[in-house]
Amino acid sequence: MASEDLDTKVKLAVYRITADTGKVPTSSDVAGKIEIDEDDVRAAFGRLHAKRLLVPEPNDPSRIRMAPPFSGIPSAFPVEAQGKRYYANCVWDAFGVAAALHADAVIPASDGFSGEPLTLEVRNGQPVSQPYVAHFAVPAAHWWDDIVFT
Amino acid sequence: MLLFRSEETVNRWCEAHQIPRRPLIDLNQLWQLAVHWYANRLTVESRRPGPDEMVSIFDSIGLTGPFWDPKSDQWKL
Repeated sequence: MASEDLDTKVKLAVYRITADTGKVPTSSDVAGKIEIDEDDVRAAFGRLHAKRLLVPEPNDPSRIRMAPPFSGIPSAFPVEAQGKRYYANCVWDAFGVAAALHADAVIPASDGFSGEPLTLEVRNGQPVSQPYVAHFAVPAAHWWDDIVFT
Repeated sequence: MLLFRSEETVNRWCEAHQIPRRPLIDLNQLWQLAVHWYANRLTVESRRPGPDEMVSIFDSIGLTGPFWDPKSDQWKL
């Protein structure tokens, strides 16, 4: 299989498993799902990282830290949708989970300064109106310098 | 990026962390960004927007200027 086809297959499996289970899969999970060698899945993770579609865990290429908009680890941006709890990487990605799933969602977020609970909601493909704002600390040209911080 | 109740708490966060105040976006703009980036993420066609495409998306929802230009070299972090 050409690496491009393999990468597409791996990418789709990562997102399908995540959407279905709420958990970002490991290379072993993906290998089992699409019946290819786990080493080939890990190599695909690396190529997808180069395309900025995935971020593997720095010290464990079998695990995914970020499959945007999904977070591979519990984060401060949970998203309740389709009867499951997903985790997003930031507030943009929290809305992104609802957009990717094409589903209504409730996002129990908080104020970045005070920690006060702020609930976001997506209903029928639109955000429920709230006066809240998002602040981008990092300019677009530097988002991928340290994508975990961004 | 972080969520805030209001501009006031953004300013207090920037002051506490000694981080320059950057642009704010409202929830409708944030939702539009999410849709542009992720609505097809579970499909074969999904891909990250390229730099020129990003500028076009930002422009379409009122986000203009070098802060939103992924090719800008104006920003020193």
